[in-house]
Amino acid sequence: MNEKHIQHDTSANTRHVCVRNELGLHARPAARLAQEAQRFASDIQLIQGDLEVDAKSILDILSLAAGQGCALTLKAEGEDAGQALDHLSTFIENLLPEEN
Amino acid sequence: MAARILQGIAVSAGVSVGKAFFLNRRRFDLIPRQTVAQDLAPFEEERLRLAFELTQADMAAARDKVPAELKEHAAIINTHLAICKDPKLLNKALKTVREMGITAEWALEKAVDEIGEAFSAIEDPYIRERYQDVQVVADRIQSRLMGQGKIGDIKAIRNRAVLLAHDLTPADTIGIEVSKIMSLATEMGGKTSHTGILARSLQIPALVGVTDLEEHVMDGQLVIIDGLKGRLIVDPDEEELAYYSDLKYQFEDYQASIIRDCSLPGETLDGYRVEVLANIELFEEVTAALDSGAEGVGLYRTEYSFLNRRELPSEEELFEEYSEMASIMHPRTVVFRTLDVGGDKILKDWNLPGEPNPALGLRAIRFCLKHRDLFIRQLRAILRASEFGNIAVMFPMISGLKEVREAKALWQRARQELRAEGRRIAQDIPLGIMVELPSAVMIAESLAREVDFFSIGTNDLIQYSLGIDRTNKHVSYLYQPLHPSVVRSIKQVVDAAHQVGIEVAVCGEVASDPYCVPILMGMQVDALSIAPQAIPGIKRVIRQTTMDECKGLLKHVLESDTVGAINRHVKDAIFKRSPEELTFYSSILDMDEG
Repeated sequence: MNEKHIQHDTSANTRHVCVRNELGLHARPAARLAQEAQRFASDIQLIQGDLEVDAKSILDILSLAAGQGCALTLKAEGEDAGQALDHLSTFIENLLPEEN
Repeated sequence: MAARILQGIAVSAGVSVGKAFFLNRRRFDLIPRQTVAQDLAPFEEERLRLAFELTQADMAAARDKVPAELKEHAAIINTHLAICKDPKLLNKALKTVREMGITAEWALEKAVDEIGEAFSAIEDPYIRERYQDVQVVADRIQSRLMGQGKIGDIKAIRNRAVLLAHDLTPADTIGIEVSKIMSLATEMGGKTSHTGILARSLQIPALVGVTDLEEHVMDGQLVIIDGLKGRLIVDPDEEELAYYSDLKYQFEDYQASIIRDCSLPGETLDGYRVEVLANIELFEEVTAALDSGAEGVGLYRTEYSFLNRRELPSEEELFEEYSEMASIMHPRTVVFRTLDVGGDKILKDWNLPGEPNPALGLRAIRFCLKHRDLFIRQLRAILRASEFGNIAVMFPMISGLKEVREAKALWQRARQELRAEGRRIAQDIPLGIMVELPSAVMIAESLAREVDFFSIGTNDLIQYSLGIDRTNKHVSYLYQPLHPSVVRSIKQVVDAAHQVGIEVAVCGEVASDPYCVPILMGMQVDALSIAPQAIPGIKRVIRQTTMDECKGLLKHVLESDTVGAINRHVKDAIFKRSPEELTFYSSILDMDEG
C-alpha cells in the first residue's frame, strides 16, 4: 500500500469530508467506495493525516482504518475531477448502514 | 495401494462412497517459482490479467446467482470482487513480473505477501483480519493461473461426486448444484463451521477438519465418507467397500424410518411424555424444525439479527421477525431467549478492550442490564409478537436473584409502555431463565419461585462447572458432559423446579445425545430442546425405552463417582435397548475411554 508523505494541500481540487457512519470505512463501504471511484477517469486520492492512498483501491482504503468521525481529504486530478469530488464526497458523507 | 484412513470431524451423519472432486485447494503443490526469459515477461503479464478477469467474471456470476434471502453472502462476494478488481493487487503482481522476471504465479504470491505485511501493521483487528479475504481472492486467481480453471466449476461434474475442498465459504457453496453432491469433506473447519450447516440442511454426510485431505486425495479417486465415525477412506479395498455399502444401506433405512415416525410424540413405552422442541438459530431453520417433528421452539437464539451489522436492528425489524416466527409456529410455543452475547459481537464500538476473559465478562443478561435501551427494544418487540402466537421468553446467564428481578422489572416496564401506547399484548407470557451457571444451580429453588420455567443450558453449565474452555485443545479432554458434578447439578435443578411446581427443559448438546437422554428422562425433565435434525433420532430413543429403565439407569449413574463408570452404565443401557441402531448414534461422550 502506497503511503506517501505529503507536504501540504489546499488547492482547489480537494474536498474535506467526514466519515459519519458508525463502523467507519470497513470492508463493505470500502468496497463500494472503490467501486464508485473506479467510475471516474481522474486520479483520486484519499488523504488522512500524512497518509495518502488510492481511492480506487479497496486495499488502500482499508489501510486507512478510517473510523467514525475521521476527517479525510479527497483529492482528484483529471478531466472529471470536479464531478468525482462531488460524487465521492457525497458518497462518504452519506454512508449509511448497509441497506442491502 | 492400501487404503488410507484420514481422521476428521463428522458434522452431518451418513455414509457415502464415490469419486472425489475438489472444489478448491489451498495448497498449490507446485507454484512455479521460476524466472522467465525477458521476452516472455509480457506473456506472464497477460496471463495475470486474464486470470484476474476470469476470476472477476466467476465472482460476478456467483454473486448474481445468490438468492435474495442470502444477502449476507452476496455482500461477502461483493467485497471479494472489489479486492479482485483492486488495481493495487494486479499492478503489484505485474510490476513484480517485470522487475524480477518471474512467473505470474510467483509474482502473485509475492504481491499478496507484501499486502499481508501491510495489513499486519493495521491496528484495528477487524480490518487486519480482512487479509483473509485477500487470501481467498488470491487463491482463486492462483488456481486460474495454474490451469485449474475447472476447479471450482461444479458443472464439470458429470456424475454425482464427493465434494472435497480446502474450505467452503458461503460464496463457494452458492453455485453448487445440490443434486450432484453425495457428500462433503473439507480440510479446514470445526464443529460449528458453515459446511456442517449446509450439509445438514442438504441431508448429506459431511466431514470437516480432515487432516491432510489435500495431500492424500486426488481428483477422481474413490473415497468413502464415514459421517458416523468421522473418517475418510481413500482407495478402499473390496472388504471395506462391501462393509460400507452395507452400512450406507442400513443407515438410510434407519434414517427413513425415524423420519417416518418423527411426528409421533416423544413418549416412552410405558406412557411417559416428554416434549421434544427445536433449538433455532437462523429464522430459516423453522421449516426444518417443523419437518422434523418439533413440538415447539424451545430455544430461539435471537442473536443473529444483531450480528455482523453496522447498526442495531430497529424495534420494528425485530417485531417483524418475532411475530412471523410466532405465527409460523402457532399454536406451538416459541421460547425467545434474549440477547446472549457480549457487546463486542454486536458492534465494534462496544468492544471492551479491557476484557481479558470474555466468557466471564460483560455478556448476556449482564450486558442487557447495562444497555437497557437496547434490552427494552428487544423486550418490546417480543411482547408485541405475543399477539401473533404462543410465546415465552427467557433470560440467559442468570447468576442470582437480583438479575432476575431487574430483568423482570424491565419486562414489566416494556409491557406498561406498550399498554400505554394502546398496543395489544397477550395476557400471560411465561417468563423463564437459563440455568447455566453453578451459582444458579445452588440457588435453584429460590430462582424457581421467581419464574415460570427453567431451561438448563448444559453446554455452558459444563464449561463453567469444570472450569474449561472446550475450544481450547489443551483442556478439551476435560469436557465431560457426564461428569458426576454435572449430572448431580442437573438433577438438583430439575428437583428444585419440580418442588416449586415449575417446568424444566434441557437445551444443550446433552439433550440431543442418545446416550445421555435416558438419564435426563430418569430425572423426569419436562422437555428437551435440540437441533431440528436431531429430533427424529431422539424421539426414537425415547419411544424405545421405559421410564422404569431410565430411573434404574439414573440411580446407577448417581451412585457412580467417576466419569468412566457413568459412561459405562450409559452405554450398557442403550446397548440393551437398541443394539442394532447403536452404529448410527453419534455421541459427545468419549466412549473409548474406560
